[in-house]
Amino acid sequence: MSIHKASIEEISMLQLSDSFFPSGMYTTSSGLEALYYSNRKITDADGLRDLIKVYLEHQLGPADCSALGNSYQHIQRKDLQKLVEVDNIIFSMKLIEEVRNASTRSGTQVLRCVSSFRTDNSIMNGYQEAIKDKRASGVYPVALAVCSNALGISKYKAGLMMLYGFSVSMVGAALRLGVLQHFDGQRIIHELKPSISETVEKNIDRPLTSMWQFAPDIDILQIAHERMSSKMFIT
Amino acid sequence: MSSKRIPRLGIGGPVGSGKTMLIEQVVPRLSSRGYRAGIVSNDVVSREDAERMRRNLATERGLMSEDLVVGLATGGCPHTAVREDPSMNISVVEEMESKHRDLDLILIESGGDNITTTFSPALADYFIYIIDVSGGDKYPRKRGLGIESCDLLVINKIDIAPYVGADLGVMERDAKIIRGIKPYVFVNCKDGQGTEEVTEHIIRDVLFEAPPKVLRR
Repeated sequence: MSIHKASIEEISMLQLSDSFFPSGMYTTSSGLEALYYSNRKITDADGLRDLIKVYLEHQLGPADCSALGNSYQHIQRKDLQKLVEVDNIIFSMKLIEEVRNASTRSGTQVLRCVSSFRTDNSIMNGYQEAIKDKRASGVYPVALAVCSNALGISKYKAGLMMLYGFSVSMVGAALRLGVLQHFDGQRIIHELKPSISETVEKNIDRPLTSMWQFAPDIDILQIAHERMSSKMFIT
Repeated sequence: MSSKRIPRLGIGGPVGSGKTMLIEQVVPRLSSRGYRAGIVSNDVVSREDAERMRRNLATERGLMSEDLVVGLATGGCPHTAVREDPSMNISVVEEMESKHRDLDLILIESGGDNITTTFSPALADYFIYIIDVSGGDKYPRKRGLGIESCDLLVINKIDIAPYVGADLGVMERDAKIIRGIKPYVFVNCKDGQGTEEVTEHIIRDVLFEAPPKVLRR
């Protein structure tokens, strides 16, 4: 790969992982808001960092990250049917309705945005057709895989980007809730780097049949958040 | 505007300026002429506005089905949700559009925000900005993107102007200076005064005086 191509890939990665990129993720707190208002309130930055690690290692890693890795395989083989299968499976693994909806809404909008300037990618166009026909949902990890691949970003880097983006959205929600101050937010992101990297390495090549997630306490927290009558965030 | 896309009207304005009440005045007026509307209400912290509109316009008055009023949380960033990154709003509007092709109009109510609120053209085809007189008659003069760039400026709560020392003449003069030929309307959303004119603007400038879809079948 020439230096020029490498730098384009990296700039594309910066573009997609930038909080300025319109994915709508700033509207979600993944249940953090419910925790904030509960008696188990997170009161410091370290508590938040540890919570994000649980999400990464027990939910997003073995499920979303693995779905992204599997999607890459099928995208590169131009196997739309298998890609749709991954979409359906990861969609059905999202137990909380608001989380499911937020994931598909983010995914479809990211796809629409990237396809507005990357118009000639057949698998992207095919996946969008499948969403339109309601054969696929446009769930975020699959949509991100399609977009990242279309922009020449490698599978591993796309995985890093997804988990980094999730961590940033959690830290952003915590900042807006007043759980921590801005320097603490950056420290947490820094301290999460090894966990993000290890989680991607561990899960990006996980076969579809071995995808899992197990964080029941977080599921319950998200259910509680979904039912809150007064809230700033989508679950 | 695509012929397939249902026209979308954005309504923005500061907290408590009367966005929800304006919708509660305009939707029945549109409905009485046969126009069917859906509403996406962006919440800042509560679902109260969406729930009130659902109860008032759907459950009690039967002007729309209950699923045509959708509340959406915006992560504490109401202006971002309608301008820089309207992804979630666009998704919800498109979901409503695909389920209810017979709608004539979709209204998107922004969460209460400051005077710099504007709507992304990708989200709304027409943008109403509403302020009220309680902030003083300096409001239009102080500008702000919302006041300057909206398609229709609505100035609400004119009934309390004498009690808060707001001179409507000053507000009108400044609105003309700041907005040039772009329209403004004085209203009292409590008793409906002026909201018929807002409705007329919507029918003329957003719906281009097309007859209601229900009459076109």
